[in-house]
Amino acid sequence: MNDFKSLRVLDAFRWIFEKFDIDYPIMRKLIQLKLTMDSRRIPAIFNGQKQKKEGNQFIKSLWLYLFYGLLLLTPFLFLRNQYMFASSILFTVLMFITITTMVSDFSAVLLDVRDKNILQPKPVSNRTLNAAKLMHIVIYLALLEGSFVIIPLAVGIYRFGIFYGLIFIVSIVFVSCFVVVITALTYLFILRFFSGEKLKDIINYVQIFLAVAVMVSYQVMAHSFELTQMNLQYTFTWWHVFLPPLWYSAFFEVLLNQDYSINMLILMACGIVIPLLMLRIYIKLMPTFERSLSKLMSDTVRTKGKSHFFEDWTSKILCRNAQERTFYRFASLMIRQEREFKLKAYPQIGFAIVIPFVMFFNEVRIDSLKEAMANENVYPLYFSALMIPTVVHLLKFSGAYKGNWIFRATPISNSKMFYSSTLKAAIVKLFLPTFALLSIVFIAMFSWAIIPDLLIILLVAIMMTLLSYVLLNGEVYPFSNSHELTQDNNTLKVLVAMVVIGAFALVHYLIAMIPYAKLIYMLILIIAVIVGWRLVFGEKKNHGHS
Amino acid sequence: MIGEPILRLQNIEMSFGNKQVLNGINLEVGKGQIIGYIGPNGAGKSTTVKLMLGLIEGYSGKIEIFGKDIADGDYTYKKRIGYVPETAELYDHLTAAEYLTFTGEMYGLEREEAEKKAYQLMFQFGLEHAFHQRLTSFSKGMRQKVLIISSVLHNPDLLFFDEPLSGLDANSVLVVKEILAKLAEEGKTVFYSSHIMEVVEKISDRIVLLVNGLVVADGSFEELQQQGKEGTLEEIFNQMTGFNQQVEIAERFVEIVKEGRVHE
Ligand SMILES: Nc1ncnc2c1ncn2[C@@H]1O[C@H](COP(=O)(O)OP(=O)(O)OP(=O)(O)O)[C@@H](O)[C@H]1O
Ligand SMILES: [Mg+2]
Repeated sequence: MNDFKSLRVLDAFRWIFEKFDIDYPIMRKLIQLKLTMDSRRIPAIFNGQKQKKEGNQFIKSLWLYLFYGLLLLTPFLFLRNQYMFASSILFTVLMFITITTMVSDFSAVLLDVRDKNILQPKPVSNRTLNAAKLMHIVIYLALLEGSFVIIPLAVGIYRFGIFYGLIFIVSIVFVSCFVVVITALTYLFILRFFSGEKLKDIINYVQIFLAVAVMVSYQVMAHSFELTQMNLQYTFTWWHVFLPPLWYSAFFEVLLNQDYSINMLILMACGIVIPLLMLRIYIKLMPTFERSLSKLMSDTVRTKGKSHFFEDWTSKILCRNAQERTFYRFASLMIRQEREFKLKAYPQIGFAIVIPFVMFFNEVRIDSLKEAMANENVYPLYFSALMIPTVVHLLKFSGAYKGNWIFRATPISNSKMFYSSTLKAAIVKLFLPTFALLSIVFIAMFSWAIIPDLLIILLVAIMMTLLSYVLLNGEVYPFSNSHELTQDNNTLKVLVAMVVIGAFALVHYLIAMIPYAKLIYMLILIIAVIVGWRLVFGEKKNHGHS
Repeated sequence: MIGEPILRLQNIEMSFGNKQVLNGINLEVGKGQIIGYIGPNGAGKSTTVKLMLGLIEGYSGKIEIFGKDIADGDYTYKKRIGYVPETAELYDHLTAAEYLTFTGEMYGLEREEAEKKAYQLMFQFGLEHAFHQRLTSFSKGMRQKVLIISSVLHNPDLLFFDEPLSGLDANSVLVVKEILAKLAEEGKTVFYSSHIMEVVEKISDRIVLLVNGLVVADGSFEELQQQGKEGTLEEIFNQMTGFNQQVEIAERFVEIVKEGRVHE
């Protein structure tokens, strides 16, 4: 096994872990093992055409974050001598990215029970086990944030001096610590108070909730500055105590601008005390966390099967032959029942629900509410389609991916039907409910007249599903790769999707100005979906016949 | 050879990377036979079976099943095959009912038929109470039984059982042994591998011994006894694989275990 650089950095903090009663050598070994496994990950054999090189995909994708850092952070640093505004935007973006990654990508790692069987029988304390898990996440998070802030940091040091850089680094450490611990604590409390089957659902709902909460607080943050005022003056209000990005901006204000007002000191104190306090609580509760995790493995005793009448019904409409229907039902079950899949997919649903509203109300801020309502502005709904690339990509994976021998051992005439039916199931089980909910609210806000627009968006979403499959998966067997740690860069996918969806929305916007063009556009989309689906999944002639 | 050949392997070679695993296997299996496929760990037994099912590719030689070359690309031969893999890997967030119905349907059964049949078979194994429980909560033996059931739901003519008895309790072993015998009586061909020599000795019409990717013995138990020395299959196995150092190995093993000091 390699000795990783990140581990050597960790060695410097050995004393901290030992102070908390963690068996450092063992923890180090566990992390080393995980990192080694991450670097050995290769795509399942015989699944798909392109053979990727083995290696840690996550690390390979880090350069992208360098780029994001450049895009998002640098401009703010050129503002002179007003640290509050610039840094709070910076920390908001940073926290936003950290929490979303944490909730959608690292939750599965945190709630992982697979290695329990392997590790639990060995003489390792729960505390150590949990610390290893947490540090595994922290290492990745540190890499991610490191690449994210390196450019802004360099620019910051150049403009404001080394002292600025120091404060910056310290506050980033605090921010990350805060985010990781708050997520872990949330899960800990759910695990503690719920159990059994219900727990699994609740965790998913909490994820949706977290995703929504993050989005909303991001908005609140942006609003706490009155952007219309030219001077961007910061004025303290009591509820700012609840906005972590402001805590850390206060660091700069106090230390660099020598603003020793009581408000600033309170904010700064929050930034230091709260994360430490939470860390303390978390460490205390860590063993409970590992113990409660085993609840996730249990299954309630059931003697009757659930009826799957919805799946049966939709499968009859959407699938043409018996095999496809079978697989459609199988995929629906996988989507509904596999915890790891849900852990990663549900936050996306949360975003898909909330982003359209956020966008709508952004609009409202510019126009008046009345005007916005009169416009029948349905375009924010396009943002709900952003979940599609990620969800489609997730269909590649399964916690029990080794079970995929069954796909190859069974007599399947057209192996393309695997993905064809899986995608259908994903649309019906994940996108449709989300979109239906949004549609209802939007119809209530505007009028029935927007129904054609909704249909167009739905068709575009189906197109997106197909496109995402071709571009991201392009393989034969779904549910056939190991989940493990995120290997791919989600943000890039979303970015590309945003461009494509944006293009569709633009076309829609232009079309809407021409009378009757909507109907024609709808027809074109329907044809495009059908033809596209045929092209991608159409039966190819088999050599042999029965 | 008895009956029509169901399975024919001609000069099968297979390597993983630069490691040659199978070195030219020739084998012909007739209808209604029970073939015990034995050999030391890593001899290539599972590899052979996976090749025949098309689970892994890249072999050289010719594999014919039901008289057709499987390299033709015609998948339909799989309809008449049942397979129990060596490790009990299943999509285990599904319930037994869901998994079994799914596999049954994949082999072309009707939904209701598959579910009913699966339930009845589970009942025979005494697992009806767990029918609607998720496979994650199943014990090893229970999973194994689910796999066995999933392999026979569609009434296949050829069965590939890779260590079907692993994890089963003594009573269940008896049942499965009987099942194999009955299936063969019905004209089904059973190709199975196992490490339990007493069982292989008793129920196989024919025993194929694989060592280092080569068939070194092939015949009924009596024929093997004539080739080698008298004795049980276990003793023949030891002789044929040139193995007689169990005592020395065990001694050295325990010596190494005892070495160094006991950790507190
Ligand atoms: N995917 C793989 N990559 C590389 N080598 C492999 C792979 N699968 C099997 N092998 C090698 O092929 C050889 C034969 O393996 P196989 O699983 O067929 O053995 P076996 O006879 O079934 O053994 P056992 O009795 O332990 O089940 C072994 O040496 C193994 O290391
Ligand atoms: Mg084997």
